[in-house]
Amino acid sequence: MITTPQITGYLSEHYAADANHTLAGYERAGGFKAVKKALKMKPADVADLVKESGLRGRGGAGFVAGLKWTFMPEKSDRMKVLVCNADESEPGSFKDRLIMERGPFAILEGILIAAWATGAEKTFIYVRGEYALPIERLRAAVDEMRAQGYLGTKLFGKKGFDHEIVVHSGAGAYICGEETGLLESLEGKKGQPRKKPPFPAQYGAFGLPTTVNNVETFAHVPYIVDRGVEWFRGFGTERSPGTTLFGVSGHVERPGLFELPLGTPLRELIEHAGGCRGGRAIKAVIPGGVSMPVLPPSDLDVGMADELLTERGTHLGTGGIMVMDETTCMVRAACVISYFFRDESCGQCTQCREGTGWINKICRRIEAGRGSDDDLALLDSVPAMMEGGTICAFADAAAWPIQGLMRHFRADFEAHVREQKCPFPESFEL
Amino acid sequence: MPRVKIDGTEYEVEDGRTILQALDDLGLLMNGVDVPHYCWHPKLPVDGSCRLCQVEVDDIPKLQIACNTPIRDGMEVRTQSDRVADARRGVMELLLVNHPLDCPICDQAGECKLQDYAFDYGVKHARTRDPRRPAQKAVELGPEIVFDQERCILCRRCVRFCRDVTGTAELGVFQRGDESLLETFPGKPLDNAYSMNVADICPVGALTTRDFRFKIRVWFLDDVDSVCNQCSNGCNISAGRAHNNVYRFTPRRNDDVNDTWMCDAGRLSYPALREGRLETAQLRGRSVAFNEAVAAAGAALRETREAGGRIVGIGSPFAPNEDLFTLRELLGAVGAGPGLFSVPLGAGDDILIKPEKAPNAAGARALGFVESGDVGDAALAIVLGHAAAGDALSSVENVILIDTHDSALASRAMVALPARTFAERAGTFTNHAKRVQRFLPFLEPRFEAWAEGDILTRLAASAGLDTDAWDVNAVSKRLSQEVPAFEGIDLDSVGDRGLELR
Repeated sequence: MITTPQITGYLSEHYAADANHTLAGYERAGGFKAVKKALKMKPADVADLVKESGLRGRGGAGFVAGLKWTFMPEKSDRMKVLVCNADESEPGSFKDRLIMERGPFAILEGILIAAWATGAEKTFIYVRGEYALPIERLRAAVDEMRAQGYLGTKLFGKKGFDHEIVVHSGAGAYICGEETGLLESLEGKKGQPRKKPPFPAQYGAFGLPTTVNNVETFAHVPYIVDRGVEWFRGFGTERSPGTTLFGVSGHVERPGLFELPLGTPLRELIEHAGGCRGGRAIKAVIPGGVSMPVLPPSDLDVGMADELLTERGTHLGTGGIMVMDETTCMVRAACVISYFFRDESCGQCTQCREGTGWINKICRRIEAGRGSDDDLALLDSVPAMMEGGTICAFADAAAWPIQGLMRHFRADFEAHVREQKCPFPESFEL
Repeated sequence: MPRVKIDGTEYEVEDGRTILQALDDLGLLMNGVDVPHYCWHPKLPVDGSCRLCQVEVDDIPKLQIACNTPIRDGMEVRTQSDRVADARRGVMELLLVNHPLDCPICDQAGECKLQDYAFDYGVKHARTRDPRRPAQKAVELGPEIVFDQERCILCRRCVRFCRDVTGTAELGVFQRGDESLLETFPGKPLDNAYSMNVADICPVGALTTRDFRFKIRVWFLDDVDSVCNQCSNGCNISAGRAHNNVYRFTPRRNDDVNDTWMCDAGRLSYPALREGRLETAQLRGRSVAFNEAVAAAGAALRETREAGGRIVGIGSPFAPNEDLFTLRELLGAVGAGPGLFSVPLGAGDDILIKPEKAPNAAGARALGFVESGDVGDAALAIVLGHAAAGDALSSVENVILIDTHDSALASRAMVALPARTFAERAGTFTNHAKRVQRFLPFLEPRFEAWAEGDILTRLAASAGLDTDAWDVNAVSKRLSQEVPAFEGIDLDSVGDRGLELR
């Protein structure tokens, strides 16, 4: 079992310690200093500090976290709530899991600081259902905090600062990681994203003003409050400060997690993971979870920050890097990816429901040696028909990887059509 | 009130309306400004999932769905740009990926939004080679609704109807992605009192009524404006008619009365327009020529008057305002007291169905009819309709019955005269909320029958009273002039939405 990243940073430096997931262990390492510091500040100043730090959401979309907090209504006659999105389901992403298992208190302290900044009285942590140990650790941590008086009323002696945290187990749907799909599921309904408006800050969980942040996003907050904006901005790039837990998986020698500053070159990350397996050449890399368009080997010099990846036609996503070696059939990759999205589409919006299935059928036909030039034309146009026109970003997430594969590996698809068979016998099997 | 520019024309709209609501309010939706839509319906909560109503809004880079975009003052909306047309073409092509192309045998053909919008935005050549999603045919969702699953485009209007209008929530979309299927919840058949509305709001041929399914191609039907007569709500309806037959009733939108709905009982009431009718005039239980029966009745009326016998008039809450007014005039002319009437009662709900099971009780009250069955020592009764007459009339020697349907009373009466149903003539009913609403004829009677007012006038003439030939328009005008509650309200002025009594 992995207990610590192969390279640690401020987030993960104590993950190897056996007691880090206990309240005593966390406090020994300096825990709960930051929340006490935050409580000496005005809530708006805490939000400003986090905004100035430039901390961007670590769930995939990369929105500036402090700015998101300010969308919460300042005054509200209804209770305000926070939601911690722990439904980590993006294929290629496995960072939140370790944070919950080894560093749950940093998340919970970050939640308390965000609660102070936004005036939220309750937090729901929505954890992916398959994540048994993270759920256990978070529940134990919440219980310890409650026993210690760190949850409840008048926290840390601060009159008017009340907070409760509920750990809620999801049931294993990828779409419940979309923030409004998560809210529906949290309410006990089918996990289907909500149309916007209204936005969660106005009408969120149970209709209450809500801010949703990712696990890792919350976990950075105590360090920023404790050590300051300047310190935080000492890591990463101007637009993407801080570290993140990069995941590297696929055809590498030592897959795992690596806490490194945003902007670290992709090639360096792959080298940290021992390079491509068996000395083979890299054929393609998915830089940030399966939704993000693939990169060819010529792009390995790119820095792993969203603004730098955007220049290469892709995004940082969750920072889950997947390496594919030279034996890999990109049509098979397209089959796997498109099957995932076909299976996980909630089915509400026309383009997503019908487009994901259609693309998967086309990819399977090409892989089976029955594809035609018409099918190639469809793979050019159907993703474009799905993009940008749906309730949530799922259709984009389903369209982009196909567009990336067609952009960089069209030759693979053409070879299948030309030869009416798969020309990559050594590739992974479907 | 915010102002919005839509395709270059400026409009003032109500606060808080979405683009589609504003277009609907202005009467422009699909009637001047084409914004095709499936999941949106004016009387259901917004779903926002079909994605067909995307339009350009201001300088927002992404297209916005018109159904869920609130209008802000100064907003500019473009509904007909190339980008919008591209998006519509894309959605239409995707909707057809799993939709069978069997329009020639589909019951919705001719009134199918998928056909209509494909005509406008469809691709000319199908690019799909794949088999359609497997699905079940002719699934019985409930006693009245049959579902062809493979045609469903998952707009979920029916789901929202059952959840938000009837509150019964029998339907849901189960599974996910392209395996999504509309179904009833286990053990919960679609059997609410309004279930057949889901067939109306289904934009495609997926939900059909057992009653109308495969009966006739809809393009052979004319729709005639009418009003349901099954309760005092007076739901506005369209009667689908062909070859002097009615094939279906469908609700006709009236936001002041029934929105876009009607109950199943009302919808299924049309066979009674042809069944159980009083088809020939009766003289003491014997069929006679219409004129002979009128002459006999006229003679009885004259003789009773001359003998000083008491005459009573019994109106009917099923008779139109104009005919009740004619009865009132006749009763006045023969010196009888105010007419009597009674209303059959039943269960009601807080959606549309009212406890008074007749369309014109409020009209009878407004015209001075008294709710009573007490005929006292009357020697002659002029009776419209049999429904409430009952045994009270057994003491009356001469009953002149004018009725649409056959009954025990018809064979017992001195004279029974066949009347036209509301389907066979024009007139107005006054609903429970005192709204006077017009219905137009959609069937020709198959035997000699006349409107109640017409028969009353013939009777009066035969009894030697001074009358003009009965004409519903003329009577309606006179009613509006003589009865203050009806001031300014006549067959013309009520229009197709009705007017409230003064």
